[in-house]
Amino acid sequence: MNQFYLFTRRCLAIVLMLGSLVAVAQQRTVTGKVTSADDNSPVPGVNILEKGTSNGTATDANGNYTISVGPNATLVFTFVGFATKEEAVGARSVIDVSLTSDVTALSEIVVTGYGTQEKKEITSAVASLKEKDFNQGNVTTPGQLIQGKVAGLSIVRPGGDPNQSPTFRLRGISTFGANTAPLIVLDGVVGASLDNVDPNDIQSIDVLKDGSAAAIYGARGSSGVIMVTTKSGKAGRGTYTNVDYNGFVTFDQVANNITVLSPQEFVARGGQDFGSSTNWFNELTQNATSQTHNISLTGASGNTTYRAAVNFRDNQGIVKGVDFQRLNTRLQVTQQALDGKLRFDASLAYNTRSQESINMAAFRYAVIYNPTAPIFDPATENNPNDQFGGYFQRPLFDFFNPVALARQQQFLGERRNSLANFRVEYDIVENLTASVNYAEDREAGWDGSYWSKQDFNFGIGGDGVARRTTFDNINRLLEGTLKYSKSFNKLNADFLLGAATQKRGSEGFGVQVNRFLFDVTGFNQLAFASNRAPSNLTEVYSFKNENILNSAFARINLNHSNTYFLSASVRSESFSGFGQDEKTGVFPAASAGVQLTELFDMGPVSNLKFRVSYGVTGNLPPAANLALATFAPGQIIDFDGDPLTLDDTYVSLRQARDPNPTLKWETKKEFNVGFDFGLFNNRLTGSMEYYTRNIDDLLFGINIPAGAPNPFGAKAEDGSPLSNVAGFAWANIGSLQAGGFEFIASYNDIKLGPVSWTPTVNFTIYQRTQIKSFSVGDLGISEIRLATPGSPGQNNNPIIWNRPGETLGNMYGPRYQGIDENGRYVLSTDNVDEWEVVGNGLPLGEGGLLNTFTYKNWDLNFFLRAVWGHTLYNSYRGFYENRDPASNTWNSVTTSKTPYVTQSPTFSSLFVEDASFIRLDNMSIGYNIPVKSAYLSRARVYFAGQNLFTITNYTGIDPEVRYNDTENGDTFTSNLAPGLERRNTYFTTRSLTFGVTLNFK
Amino acid sequence: MMRVINKKMVALTLFVILATACEAPDQKIFDEIDRDFALSSTDPTVLASFAASAYTPLNGTWGAHNSLWSLHEVSSDEMAITQKGADWEDGGQWIRVHRHQYQPTEESINNGWAYCYSAIGNINNLLKSFGSNAILRANFEVLRAMIYLWLIDAYGNVPIITEETTDSTPPTVPRAQVYAFIESSVVNNLDKLEKARTYATVNYYVGQAILAKLYLNAQVYTGTAQWQKAADACQAIISSGVYSLEPNFFNNFVTRNSGSVENIFVLNYDENNAGGFNLPQMTLHYASQATFNLQQQPWNGYSTLEEFYNSFNSADSRINSFLVGPQFSSDGKRLEDLSAEPNDPDGPPLTFTPQINMLAPNAFRQSGARVGKWEFRLGAGPNLSNDYPIFRYSDILLMRAEALWRINNASAEALSLVNQVRARSWPGNPIAALTADELLAERGREMFAEGYRRQDLIRFGRFNQAWWEKPASAATKNIFPIPQAQRLSNPDLQQNPGY
Repeated sequence: MNQFYLFTRRCLAIVLMLGSLVAVAQQRTVTGKVTSADDNSPVPGVNILEKGTSNGTATDANGNYTISVGPNATLVFTFVGFATKEEAVGARSVIDVSLTSDVTALSEIVVTGYGTQEKKEITSAVASLKEKDFNQGNVTTPGQLIQGKVAGLSIVRPGGDPNQSPTFRLRGISTFGANTAPLIVLDGVVGASLDNVDPNDIQSIDVLKDGSAAAIYGARGSSGVIMVTTKSGKAGRGTYTNVDYNGFVTFDQVANNITVLSPQEFVARGGQDFGSSTNWFNELTQNATSQTHNISLTGASGNTTYRAAVNFRDNQGIVKGVDFQRLNTRLQVTQQALDGKLRFDASLAYNTRSQESINMAAFRYAVIYNPTAPIFDPATENNPNDQFGGYFQRPLFDFFNPVALARQQQFLGERRNSLANFRVEYDIVENLTASVNYAEDREAGWDGSYWSKQDFNFGIGGDGVARRTTFDNINRLLEGTLKYSKSFNKLNADFLLGAATQKRGSEGFGVQVNRFLFDVTGFNQLAFASNRAPSNLTEVYSFKNENILNSAFARINLNHSNTYFLSASVRSESFSGFGQDEKTGVFPAASAGVQLTELFDMGPVSNLKFRVSYGVTGNLPPAANLALATFAPGQIIDFDGDPLTLDDTYVSLRQARDPNPTLKWETKKEFNVGFDFGLFNNRLTGSMEYYTRNIDDLLFGINIPAGAPNPFGAKAEDGSPLSNVAGFAWANIGSLQAGGFEFIASYNDIKLGPVSWTPTVNFTIYQRTQIKSFSVGDLGISEIRLATPGSPGQNNNPIIWNRPGETLGNMYGPRYQGIDENGRYVLSTDNVDEWEVVGNGLPLGEGGLLNTFTYKNWDLNFFLRAVWGHTLYNSYRGFYENRDPASNTWNSVTTSKTPYVTQSPTFSSLFVEDASFIRLDNMSIGYNIPVKSAYLSRARVYFAGQNLFTITNYTGIDPEVRYNDTENGDTFTSNLAPGLERRNTYFTTRSLTFGVTLNFK
Repeated sequence: MMRVINKKMVALTLFVILATACEAPDQKIFDEIDRDFALSSTDPTVLASFAASAYTPLNGTWGAHNSLWSLHEVSSDEMAITQKGADWEDGGQWIRVHRHQYQPTEESINNGWAYCYSAIGNINNLLKSFGSNAILRANFEVLRAMIYLWLIDAYGNVPIITEETTDSTPPTVPRAQVYAFIESSVVNNLDKLEKARTYATVNYYVGQAILAKLYLNAQVYTGTAQWQKAADACQAIISSGVYSLEPNFFNNFVTRNSGSVENIFVLNYDENNAGGFNLPQMTLHYASQATFNLQQQPWNGYSTLEEFYNSFNSADSRINSFLVGPQFSSDGKRLEDLSAEPNDPDGPPLTFTPQINMLAPNAFRQSGARVGKWEFRLGAGPNLSNDYPIFRYSDILLMRAEALWRINNASAEALSLVNQVRARSWPGNPIAALTADELLAERGREMFAEGYRRQDLIRFGRFNQAWWEKPASAATKNIFPIPQAQRLSNPDLQQNPGY
């Protein structure tokens, strides 16, 4: 019913808008040719716009154009790399234009919230990347396109799991309650999933870094905003059709490994000799081949522009049994009507992805499993009824054949994403544009798992266990804006007014059953399981939730004679998931800039803009029901205690949580100062930023006294305070502070004879997040200790202590001082209370160096990325490098840092390693094949390598920063435990890609 | 003119649409039940479910590892968790607990506290909703008193939190005050409790059993002994005739023990519906999975101290409370521990020896008799279905015997009660005269692994003495520290002396 209302209202809007339109026009035709002033060569693709209208076209391959214009028209010619030129048409019908080259990037268009701005007008910290800036190679997710390219934006994907999404951190960790990842705005759809878009279909990515830029997205802007714009057909070029093909094949191999003892060394150390010799690592891994094909059709016809694209990816992992196939389709159509005053834009994306993975514990066993054990047990290999399926297994603690583990457990899944986005824009009068946007983003999927009857790790105890879960997520957005521009003498003003309502929901169900006769049907026929009743091994559940976010926002941008710039915005939001009186928050922002070169003659300095900004953003809680006192299903009660009688069992009601009816917005206040600079006629350009951010009312889960009355005033029905049951509640508690400095510079087109070189360098210096407090009034906690190294034997002492007044994520432990003559550790203390800070997993800085060389038709890119100042706990060493008798079950890891210790492993600074590294992330060589064809406009072949080498002193798998703890499923505490390389880390991958790009006209 | 109309129309339309399209930001709930709605139900099944939900948190972690049970057992002389190299090092917690060096930061000490107070918070909320029903109120208050009995025994000075408490950081109160609260909670409600056998719920006899335990330990809790009151509370149960000794001791501990006429109050565990009793995982060797066809591999943790094992006579059937000797798979094959330490005299064939070479750091993986008192069903999962007795009739007999003996060392009734319990499992070997040693040893044999050994040792003044791998300890160790985590969230909790 609700959806129907939304739909009818939307339709109503469109109908009313259409009905209120008029169209009047008197047209004439102008033709001409555009050439380059440098060499008089024709310039194709120049945009030609009738000034003050949206009427436009573009030059063809020979630089020719034709355009119909109204009376008293002025034509504006723009093309990247050339100075913009204006020509009044007057009485002329042929206008030839010669454009002079201009290396300034000032005319670059930046996508900001609800619109675009020229870069010269930007007064906040925004980074803008176009297709030419993207990383090349086997890039499977949009994040990888810009990894390392934006100062302050950290994108990490430790290990090489093709099924793992990268982790994003913009300007470090500034929150950990719910959304630590930046908000994604995909073609204007706020909060859309990046799974909706293939990297091949992305035209540009703009990153709103500071609080002032992000504040237009208010409540969800605290972790920054990433604006993704997909490719579309170009208006104003007349009728054209381009077909583009991009295909590549990628070969992956294992890039890094953990060194262990050989079978001989293992036996010599005292390990049990099973008489065989197996390289478990090689058994688990493979050289993988992946392929990607992208075909797109882009064009325009009359008042219609369109783009249709299809992407297919088949990615194999370097670990056998890990892969995915993805089909990604996208259709985008823009229709103009009424002289371009009415624009209707529809885009539809539909994607499917199927994936397969293995139990990540197999990585651990591939490293430490006994190297003298065979894969198959000679005694049972040929016995069809062997309980382990012939695999070698022994009942030792934490000892599972990794090959069996990978093969006898099955984890499959599928995801279906669809995004439908409709937008109507109408220029009501000159400079006043209204738009309505409706988007529906859906993700549905299922996961199926099966543990074989012969799986020693888990399935054997349940005689085969199957699990199947499904889910549906939906995100509906209805949004309207009014934009108005006005010039007052030298002052240009842009106004924006808007409102939005967004509803997000999630639902799904899952079933787990066990006791099968055969393995073959797996999770495809759960009814082959005999045990479907409640038990340790079975489960039935479903869930459904929904939340509402209503917003109103306004913004003004002022530009005085391209010298003084001012921007101010405010967004007010109401979120259903907060306390009854705390639902609405207001998020203001302001920024200003001055172009100093307009005020003073600065000699070689061709651009120097000073900017300052301040903005407030918010953050949502991890769930929308935290303020409510409700009952969840509890334990099943058997009234007589006799399991044989079933007609007397009921599910008890369990208080779902300790509610907090005062829960409200977390706020981040960010101050940013920056410079944009250009020297030598803007051949050298760059910018720098300094920011400081204060986070208050941090949304955070804290312990409250179990049994005691609710500290937030939650009431029972008799008006008395509700008693705490869980002893845990979400509250606005605590403050954080962080800051940093960012720098990026690029020297355009340095001539080295016939070779042109463009180096770009960026770096960020982080002031790591400081914990100011974890308390408000009486409530609070003095510290949070997290992350024990784990089993065996290191389960009790957490090693990451978050304490107010200290840096977030400090790792504590005893300091390693050496080993004594008996091979026992000499540590600074045995008393946990005397542990000291031995590391921190957050980096002090990171940077990238991109070099682009072009020589005739050749181009070469290489991108070096460095991250420094962070430490990692190397858990392979932390558990498996000792030579104590109890460790004889497992193979030992050996590194350059391994001492000969004969006692059982104990955590100390010994295992906390500096993980600073420099990595050749990406390198590509391309050749543009000269083509003279009526149909083919461009042909290019390229060869790209990813992760080609890493320089580091770290001895684990991957020195990449770990922002969260993979062994901690709880997202918010996971974010408080950076710097742990766990034993389930996927091995790193080195990739070589060969690709072809063909453009047909 | 036209343009102006258009402008207004479109702007207005836009505004109207967005304004009306916005739903009020009220949070809807789809997969949970609104509190007021559920509580307004008059369906008797719903009411019964609410009443029963007072008990469900009790199953929780009582019988799991890292619980109050773990603390009571490992700090006593009947159990230890030895450190087998890296395995079971666990930050040294279990070595410290065994040696009475526990710290306020021990995970188990916090778990025990949270377990008790979470159940109390749940009961307090039920009292707010159903307190007007006098019978339910009496049941809930007595059940809550039982949890306070666990708290007073473990932590001594604790906050008293009831449904009427309004202070969100309630302070600790002295142990004697907690004692008085428990006593009055039970005494004031006794006459409202059912005077018949009930299963896994509070009744009149459960109330008396709570009082019996409270009075028996009154000297420890308050400094003033209440032996006669303890004897009387026990007598109220004995003379009712509602409970009696099972002919076979182990009937009380089998998988399907809900028929036991001896168990007065149990935690109603169920492997499917009410998990939390993880004994097979906690005590058995990894390879023992094949002995009981367990669904998951055990953890090789808890075993019995050799001296305690030796306090059992081989003619006493209760010696079968332990698993010792060679171990076999369910189909009769000899089990092997392929990682047995090279210096373990038993070698790879899996043999549980009562003798333990050391507590830490390199205890043999096979050493130590294991807990076999509860039946481990063939094919059991990590959670047992065996109900866990909190109060058992033979304990009542032994408690009355002890109380009478404390009043008069020559009490004939005391001697006869002890021998009544003893004769069931060890016929033909009555005790001639009761001594403290005899009484404590008999309680040890009867009540092994039921979580009362620490309390008994304290009452008999033995808890601070030295024993295997444990030095003499200070009297302040007779109560555990207030957990550090709790003091962080409630600054009004006073730390116990000596910590």
